[in-house]
Amino acid sequence: MISIINEDKYLWADVNLTEANLSNANEFKALLIDLLNQKQKSIVLNMTQVTYIDSSFLGALVAGLKHAISMQFDIILVGLQPDIHDLIKLIRLDKVFKIYNDNSQVQ
Amino acid sequence: MMAQTQKHILLVDDNPLYLKMLNQAFDKAGFTCQTALSAQEGIDKLATYTPDAILSDYEMPDMNGVEFRQYLMQQPAHRDIPFIFLTGNNDTNLMSTGLDLQAVDYVIKDTPFKVIIAKLNNLLHTVQKQRELSEMEIKRAAAALNIKAVPDKAPQLTNIGIHFWHKSYQDIPGGDFIDFIETDNNYTFILLGDIMGKRWNAWFFTFTFLSYIRAAIRFSILSGEHSIAVILQKVNLIICQDDMLRDVLSSLSLVRINRQTGQLFYSGAGDIPLLHYNYAAAQLNQVSSSGLLLGLFADGSYDEQEITLAPHDRLFIFTDGMTDFATEKGSKSDYNRFALHLQQQLTHNPDFETLKQNLIPQPDALVDDCSIIQIHKYPQ
Repeated sequence: MISIINEDKYLWADVNLTEANLSNANEFKALLIDLLNQKQKSIVLNMTQVTYIDSSFLGALVAGLKHAISMQFDIILVGLQPDIHDLIKLIRLDKVFKIYNDNSQVQ
Repeated sequence: MMAQTQKHILLVDDNPLYLKMLNQAFDKAGFTCQTALSAQEGIDKLATYTPDAILSDYEMPDMNGVEFRQYLMQQPAHRDIPFIFLTGNNDTNLMSTGLDLQAVDYVIKDTPFKVIIAKLNNLLHTVQKQRELSEMEIKRAAAALNIKAVPDKAPQLTNIGIHFWHKSYQDIPGGDFIDFIETDNNYTFILLGDIMGKRWNAWFFTFTFLSYIRAAIRFSILSGEHSIAVILQKVNLIICQDDMLRDVLSSLSLVRINRQTGQLFYSGAGDIPLLHYNYAAAQLNQVSSSGLLLGLFADGSYDEQEITLAPHDRLFIFTDGMTDFATEKGSKSDYNRFALHLQQQLTHNPDFETLKQNLIPQPDALVDDCSIIQIHKYPQ
């Protein structure tokens, strides 16, 4: 579900889901929080494969972000499909997540 | 026997020929199958696929069927998927071990395919019946306690009309909640929220959120605080401080109507933008707020704005179940498509009942709870 691709200042990972929904939200949240606890660094999630996110999964992502912020780290989203990026902007989550088109833009 | 609805089965066996024959037999019986030649391949598939049942061989190299089942028992997302062992012999020790691992059944491998399929059909039928009975019990308990996340009817105001429609996803109560609160200083509050989650998990929390919101509105009005942005901030702070609600988030659209003047104010928390239909210009305009989801951060950045409704104008508040839909290629979320569809319908100036009929997604396309509230001003 989350594949670690690289590790430097950030943990770079791919989200291997097409439909991110209720059926995988809890497991995703647990994995994300485990990764934050183990690696103690901000995580860049490549979301290119994800074509749909429901509110359960958004809740899992936000729970991960809250956990990261409490540890003074971050969750960064890259490669969001346009529909998903639009939804995130509509509900103002673009104010709380750092969002980039691709990995090269992450500082 | 044909499967009554198309069910998804994961078949796991290291014998490619047997797996192919099993797949063909299930396919012919109306099931949709994915196959795996090892337990590890099955685990990989389960990362992106949730079948209705798993049928797995016992004797496999590397990880055998019992080890596979033990692994799945550790995974919260997979432990409750009905699991059947395929065994090569009548090994009673193995059967006992398998049943200890909460496998629901075992099948001897030389059993005719049609018997295996019949067993699986019976199993799925039993699981479905048990689920329905559990849901019925919860519904009965909720009805007995008179707890509702959605009211029976909208209030009748003299100069403003309010209509709403709500449909639970798969008829199981979920995260959407609606309420109308009348305070004795001429205000009617309209609220539509959506707990981030689905079905019972989300439904359970609707009552906690509703209680906090109702209390915050009434306490604020009693103490002379009328700003809905301030009320939202108070609700948000309480929710952020409640350990029981850790990681539970909700959107909320809050509208305050002055029953005497018809003056209307709106504030939102992580809600999808409202739509205001300007009747004279035949235009549908987005009404956005700046507030963040309830429970996200202690400072939710809430604002409020006045919305002026001319006669025949309409204001629509809705949840993402109205904008999300299933297609053959998967689910999609498309706010603009919904807005365009709504605008097309409104050119005929339909009453709410007709509009609703034309807006409701097809049952097969539903992916979430659907809720929509229409507010309109009566002609002078």
